[in-house]
Amino acid sequence: MRSGDFKETYADLIVLSDSRLVWAWAGVLVVALVVAPFVVNAYVLSLLTLVLITVTGALGLNLLTGLTGLISLGHAGFLLLGAYGYAIVVAKHNLHPLLGFLAAGVAPALFAIVVGLPSLRLRGLYLAITTLAFSYIISDLILEAKSITDGARGITVQRPEFFGLDFSSDPSFALLCAFVAAVALFACLNIQRSRIGRAFMAIRDNDIAARTMGVNLQAFKLYAFMTSAFITGIAGALMGIYLSFVSVEGFPFLFSIEALAILIVGGLGSALGAVLGTVFIVLLPEAIRILFSWFGGALESLLSTGVHEVKSIAYGVAIILFLRFEPRGLVGVWRDAKRLWTHWPLKY
Amino acid sequence: MTAPLLQLDALTRTFGGLRAVSEVSFDVMRGEICSVIGPNGAGKTSLFNLISGVLRPTSGRILFDGADITRERPARFASLGIGRTFQNLALFKHGTVVENILVGRHIHTKSSVLESAFFFGRTRAEEIAAREKVEEIVEFLEIEQIRDAVVGQLSYGQQKRVELARALACEPKLLLLDEMVSGMNQEETEDIARFVLDIRDELGITVLMIEHDMRVVMDISDRVQVLNFGQKIAGGTPDQVRNDPAVLDAYLGRRGRPSEPAGSAAHGL
Ligand SMILES: Nc1ncnc2c1ncn2[C@@H]1O[C@H](COP(=O)(O)OP(=O)(O)OP(=O)(O)O)[C@@H](O)[C@H]1O
Ligand SMILES: [Mg+2]
Repeated sequence: MRSGDFKETYADLIVLSDSRLVWAWAGVLVVALVVAPFVVNAYVLSLLTLVLITVTGALGLNLLTGLTGLISLGHAGFLLLGAYGYAIVVAKHNLHPLLGFLAAGVAPALFAIVVGLPSLRLRGLYLAITTLAFSYIISDLILEAKSITDGARGITVQRPEFFGLDFSSDPSFALLCAFVAAVALFACLNIQRSRIGRAFMAIRDNDIAARTMGVNLQAFKLYAFMTSAFITGIAGALMGIYLSFVSVEGFPFLFSIEALAILIVGGLGSALGAVLGTVFIVLLPEAIRILFSWFGGALESLLSTGVHEVKSIAYGVAIILFLRFEPRGLVGVWRDAKRLWTHWPLKY
Repeated sequence: MTAPLLQLDALTRTFGGLRAVSEVSFDVMRGEICSVIGPNGAGKTSLFNLISGVLRPTSGRILFDGADITRERPARFASLGIGRTFQNLALFKHGTVVENILVGRHIHTKSSVLESAFFFGRTRAEEIAAREKVEEIVEFLEIEQIRDAVVGQLSYGQQKRVELARALACEPKLLLLDEMVSGMNQEETEDIARFVLDIRDELGITVLMIEHDMRVVMDISDRVQVLNFGQKIAGGTPDQVRNDPAVLDAYLGRRGRPSEPAGSAAHGL
């Protein structure tokens, strides 16, 4: 068992984690992430890259839906805006990739004000429908604004190169994605342990009490929308670069559902949950693919013709099963396991 | 210390045809412990909702610290110096005790989203200061044992105490307590009564409280205001109120309101 908590200073009380073990594991994970892209095969590398990009997007949605309790079905819209923000700045106007990433965050954040303002009084289903409509409006806008976006033609995007670093190879691009995911995770954990994150949580759990504590509900809901959109937009840019082509079809509505599934499976409101949920949901179709290939024949051909449909069904089933049997998500399972581990053989 | 901290001037709030708060006027002096009593449905909580910005008055004025705050934005009331607890628990139930109390420090911290994301400089300094203040309050209210517990899992009495802690973290000038001791046992009730006195005497906070427990009211209040059917029917020292015939009527319901036919007094509309 670990010894009791005795803190010497108040600074010790606000650290991200007071456990050496947690920091040690985090270190191991970082090293593994740096080494892995150069040793694993191409297939595993593509999955790893996808996980890292998706984690960033899921962390973005978690701020809004998990932490602030504002449901969004328009997440794909923010991804799309981020991808186009980057593509327009870098591919069409040949500006610096870092400016591209900035645009990929700022453009969705600005649009988040547009969708956020009318959403301030909406909750639950109404907010879900509004954000859903928003994502379709974004698709239409992009298709219509041909002079800026090239409309339905889409924009081809190269892998970036900056500060003498070349991210054109798959392993190095995976490293870039890992770096972005790590920064996003760090930012989210920091927000959660500061006044902003607590205000978000307060709005989610009891908005009247939050307001009585002086939380300006309108302002903080907008902050949640904007921060969430910013992080999501960065993920969108990485996605666009990864696909090397940005188009409306590349960011289907299914992405919004996938992101929600990740949060529910991982555990709403937890950054760690977003990470666990991403791994689960990204690998789920792969697991199904392997399962189907064992059965061969009809099932295997079903997957090759209707991969989109199979994915949708799998996400739906995962959402239902977790809501029914483990509403705290994987992070709840993780905490139970940890408690069991630290306190074994004692019960509590 | 003679100027009133809070002045209510013909404060009124209607819900459709129901006058939940009707032309209520009274002052609360600085450093006072003032109680609001009245039968169920008398409009006590509605009155608190008006004073804390949760509800807007239909008419009348609220003066706080000499300024008219009737039309202030709801989120401003905390910064003005008005803190409160809720009759039905209104905690952030997924957070720990410390996290809940830290929300009370919201108005005393200023970090932006960007600063918070990086957690350097100002954010770090603010968080340390906030945490220090919270530990002070935790000690003051004797809730050290539960500080890391998730509030949803605490007993009712403990949750009430966390609410009090959260309100204190705002460092209000005026603290509104809505039925703190309802549902508490004798010992918990005495603890709370002692805390209320300490809050006034040691922290210098003026207290306005709604209370059904008459022993607590009579023991620690400097003054008592009595509501019935939204109207103030009496006000004064505990002794004055105790012997006021209108108060006895309201509580015993013998005659109801003078304008009402007998027997309809119990619960209003
Ligand atoms: N938001 C609201 N909408 C409609 N009617 C309301 C609202 N809030 C309170 N009321 C009504 O106003 C009247 C006063 O209610 P209030 O909660 O202020 O009473 P109270 O004195 O606090 O009672 P209790 O002792 O039971 O807490 C009641 O008849 C109640 O039904
Ligand atoms: Mg009440």
